[in-house]
Amino acid sequence: MTRHHPDTLTLMEYSAGNLSEPHALCIRLHLDQCPHCRSRVDTLDSLGAVMMESQPQVGVSSDMFDSILSRIDSEPDMTEKYIDAQAKRLSPLQKLLGDNLDDLPWKRQLGDVSVLDISERFPGQNEQVVLQKLAAGGKAPAHTHRGDETTIVLQGAFADQKGVFNQWDFVVLNQEDEHKPVAVGCEDCITLSVLSAPVKLTGTFTRLLNPFIR
Amino acid sequence: MTTLDQKPARAEGRKDPWSQMLEKVGKNQDRQAYHALFEHFGPQIKYYAMANGLASHAEELVQEVFVSIWRRSCLYDWRKAAASTWIFTIARNQRIDMLRKMKRTSAEMPVETEDLWQIPGENDDEPVTSLHRLMSERRVRESLSHLPEEQITVIAKVYMESKSHQMVADELNIPLGTVKSRVRLALNKLKVILQDQNV
Repeated sequence: MTRHHPDTLTLMEYSAGNLSEPHALCIRLHLDQCPHCRSRVDTLDSLGAVMMESQPQVGVSSDMFDSILSRIDSEPDMTEKYIDAQAKRLSPLQKLLGDNLDDLPWKRQLGDVSVLDISERFPGQNEQVVLQKLAAGGKAPAHTHRGDETTIVLQGAFADQKGVFNQWDFVVLNQEDEHKPVAVGCEDCITLSVLSAPVKLTGTFTRLLNPFIR
Repeated sequence: MTTLDQKPARAEGRKDPWSQMLEKVGKNQDRQAYHALFEHFGPQIKYYAMANGLASHAEELVQEVFVSIWRRSCLYDWRKAAASTWIFTIARNQRIDMLRKMKRTSAEMPVETEDLWQIPGENDDEPVTSLHRLMSERRVRESLSHLPEEQITVIAKVYMESKSHQMVADELNIPLGTVKSRVRLALNKLKVILQDQNV
């Protein structure tokens, strides 16, 4: 059960369709595992519907319905294709990263920390999207964050002075959050982070380019 | 505009008339019901496109949304979402998709819009929480009519014009904190936020 959730304003921006793709991915992954937030998003989606209905309406061309009909008539019946596609649907994470997170071309950064930059999987987006892996029981050096950093835990758990973050927990860190995360439990901790600006190291490792970090 | 007497009788209790029609489209490819949905939601979606800065593609968006409604209506389950909520999420996704395609370079996007933004009730195998979901739309509609105009204005800009809270603040020339507190007050009344405590 996840214990750290996106705040309602972020969920609203998600429901309105205003988040960047990497941010939306973090929310989507959390929603998949969190009935609590899913139910909040349901309500927010209803809010969108009611807003749409309460706005002015603009007449559509008189022949539009006919062209829609001719379009659906020219297509083969899609019903089966949809049901089929639905059943075979991969999770967004599988699509993006395959089945085994351990098989990815991780780059060891220092000590217990490995990283993999997947920003190029989101062409046209300005954020940096990074996977970070902290070996089981490992520690990351103390660091703070220059901009907002949105993180979701994909595997294992980490802890810092604010608490324990388990699989599918969602957390946003910024410049006020100096922390020194430790991987807890017997699994490597893997997180997906969306970074608006590089992080600033605060400890003795200031000259190292880092991740759990960055 | 659709008048009340065009709506089917409320024979099925909680199921609203639009949801009944959408279900007919899904089950029987009922074109009359499809046309009624088009008459009701088409003009809303066209405005949505225009408010989002897609004026020159507004009719194209309406078309895409309706083709998508037809294709996936077989997946619609009234217990998972009211028709208007379901259609809003399709309009939102088609809008995002259209913008992504306009920006797309030759590089293929590995993640599709629907991997990121789900349509309620699809790919969703939790036990049906129908009452909650159906209540939520009714509750939102009722609560919204009691909200002060300044809160509705802010929410409308977020939903209808895809503006971030910061952009809304800049446009209305008020501090970001004020925008956020208006949203929070509104969501509080809509009972979205109550559950934020103690989680």
